[in-house]
Amino acid sequence: MSFELLLGAWVATGLTLFIFTFLYQDNPLFKLAEHLYVGVSVGYTIVKDYDLLVRLIYEPMVKQGDWSLLIPLGIGTLMLARYIPKATWLSRIAFAFIVGVGSGLAIPRIISSFILKQVEDTVRPLVSIVQGGPTFTYNLLDPTSNLNTIVLLIGVVSVLFYFFFSIEHTGPVRVAARTGILFLMVAFGAAFGYTVMARMSLLIGRLSDLIEYADPQYGRASLWLGLATVAILLLWNVRQREQPPDKG
Amino acid sequence: MNFAERMLHIDRRIIFLVIGVCTLLPLLYPVGLAIKVSPEVRGVHDYIEALPEGSVFLLSMDYDPASKPELYPQAVALLRQAFRKNLRVIGMTLWLPGTGLADQVMTQVAREMGKVSGKDYVFLGWSPGSGSLIINMGQDLYKAFPTDYYGQPTRELAVLKGTQTLRDVNYVVSLAAGTSGIETWYVYGKDKYKFELGGGCTGVIAPGLYPLLRSGQINGLIGGLRGAAEYEVLIGQKERAVAGMDAQSATHFAIIVLVILCNVFYLLIRTSRKQGEAR
Amino acid sequence: MIFLRRQLPLVITFVMGVVFAAQYYVPHPRSELMLTEVTKWLQIIGIFALVLGVTSLFHIHAVKIRRKEPGWGYSLVLYAGIFGTIAAGFSYSSTASQWVNGKETINGIMTAFGWIYLNMMVPLQGSMFALLAFFIASAAYRSFRARSREAALLLIAAVIVMMGRVPLGEMLLPASGDVTQWILNVLNASVRRAILIGISLGAVALSLKIIFGIERAYLGGGKE
Repeated sequence: MSFELLLGAWVATGLTLFIFTFLYQDNPLFKLAEHLYVGVSVGYTIVKDYDLLVRLIYEPMVKQGDWSLLIPLGIGTLMLARYIPKATWLSRIAFAFIVGVGSGLAIPRIISSFILKQVEDTVRPLVSIVQGGPTFTYNLLDPTSNLNTIVLLIGVVSVLFYFFFSIEHTGPVRVAARTGILFLMVAFGAAFGYTVMARMSLLIGRLSDLIEYADPQYGRASLWLGLATVAILLLWNVRQREQPPDKG
Repeated sequence: MNFAERMLHIDRRIIFLVIGVCTLLPLLYPVGLAIKVSPEVRGVHDYIEALPEGSVFLLSMDYDPASKPELYPQAVALLRQAFRKNLRVIGMTLWLPGTGLADQVMTQVAREMGKVSGKDYVFLGWSPGSGSLIINMGQDLYKAFPTDYYGQPTRELAVLKGTQTLRDVNYVVSLAAGTSGIETWYVYGKDKYKFELGGGCTGVIAPGLYPLLRSGQINGLIGGLRGAAEYEVLIGQKERAVAGMDAQSATHFAIIVLVILCNVFYLLIRTSRKQGEAR
Repeated sequence: MIFLRRQLPLVITFVMGVVFAAQYYVPHPRSELMLTEVTKWLQIIGIFALVLGVTSLFHIHAVKIRRKEPGWGYSLVLYAGIFGTIAAGFSYSSTASQWVNGKETINGIMTAFGWIYLNMMVPLQGSMFALLAFFIASAAYRSFRARSREAALLLIAAVIVMMGRVPLGEMLLPASGDVTQWILNVLNASVRRAILIGISLGAVALSLKIIFGIERAYLGGGKE
């Protein structure tokens, strides 16, 4: 196995274990790993940023002669005027351009995608037409059955009623809103179940890597570093207890 | 403090230990329980399976290293199927921190399947903008990405021949970990450029994508590690995702037991308080 | 001068907003060309937005080091991480015989920059988020109590979905898989649809308020 792969396994294992020490207590190993994480992430962003500047601006402008890119370059530079106290107002022009274009692009697309299309699918026929005439399908396991269409319609309407706070929730509105709450509770329960699944998957992923790095071909990195981490934590704990408490 | 109260205020590190053990043991000693495939995962698989050879398939890996355990296995399974079907694969990402992972998965699977960059697949990398980037790709793919990730001019690549805009792409799958993902691809992409769209996502955002699935705006959804495991079963290559399902079972049941215990202790405390007040 | 500082940004927002909202309905080639050009510009402007985010972080930790505030040593670790990664990103790869230029691999060979990404950034970020698994278990144990009928309904739905999404649950209780599918595809879908419609209406309303200059928070503070 190459030295880079072996060193990489030990570094990855060590950093993973340092982060996990937070489960015991906030400690210097965790803080070290945490700050290193932020530093490496920022460094990565900076490098990619520079690479983009070259690929998207320098090369098209200088090598291919596309000088129209001076306009967005100018607008982007205006954004940086934010750091000059007397020229902060210049950055507003840049933000106004970005936000204006962004809002304009978003409005018709969101209306089409998330309002019209979603309402269209909610108001589907409540009976099906087959050769013999209209029929009512009630297979709960088929999301497109007529029974489920009715349940879906009731769910959408009642939840929309619940969130409409401009009118008082009394009488029939109260019934609709209370029905909405029941639908909401089931949906939040499902969301919690899925969130648990997602979080556990992340842990399974990290532990799978730690198990892989406990292999002899990686020098049993997980085992040795695990022991070292526990030893450092215990030492730190003892030192914390021995230090006198701060006065005042 | 009585027993129920003491149990409810137990040191949380004991709970951490329980979860750690429930995750570790099944990974070390797997059982291999059967996995049922859901219709939403089958939707993505069957659509790719039906694509003729040479079709253009765009895989947008919109996630960062935090979501690697759930979405990396999905990417591997999708790429294996796409390369086996001899589709022309375009890889990219809308998330800057995920660029390295996306590059790694494409290179790794392509090498495994004997595919060549520029001829069978292209990795475009990342470009800022998400929504505006997708619109730009929909208007002119070569303007959005004048070069691929390695600096090769995209106009000269054989794999992109005949593909001018997103309208020429046969199927787009976005593997999403949050905003700038499937919804972005629909709103700024499919709504105007009318390509077929499928999705893969983390378990956290999966429930929120069911309205799009039901309305046909996406034709399939691979949800979380479970979805990745189902996909591995479908393509007949069971790997990390399937291996993780036993641990998933154990941890879910651990949480269910913890929640039941919490409610039992809470009921006991409430009953003893009511009895105390009655006296 | 006041027009330049106060009114001009609002005029720009209004004009750009109206033009690009209308563009969606105008398929003329010139209109499409304008869309292509301006969305390209937004990509380039996005690079400068990244620069803004990065510089503010530098500033916070530079102040900490200068004032030798508690924990300033960790800020040095942060700077070491930043400059170490940048140095690797612009280094020369002897194995690939070319400059790295921010690439994780060159012709399939991993660079120093790729090594830092795969062996430091990926495990660090992955582990940070893996911690959440422990905290969700602890939080569920301490606070997931059926205090009311609605909470009990939430709890039951959560338990059914947690069982139905794992092979062991489907094996012990086959119905849990089918019930989970029904909950997700019908009940959950209806709620999420209503929330999506509501949020979208709100987003459209906010965008209109921004375009018409009623909402100005995006312009930020500073002397006028």
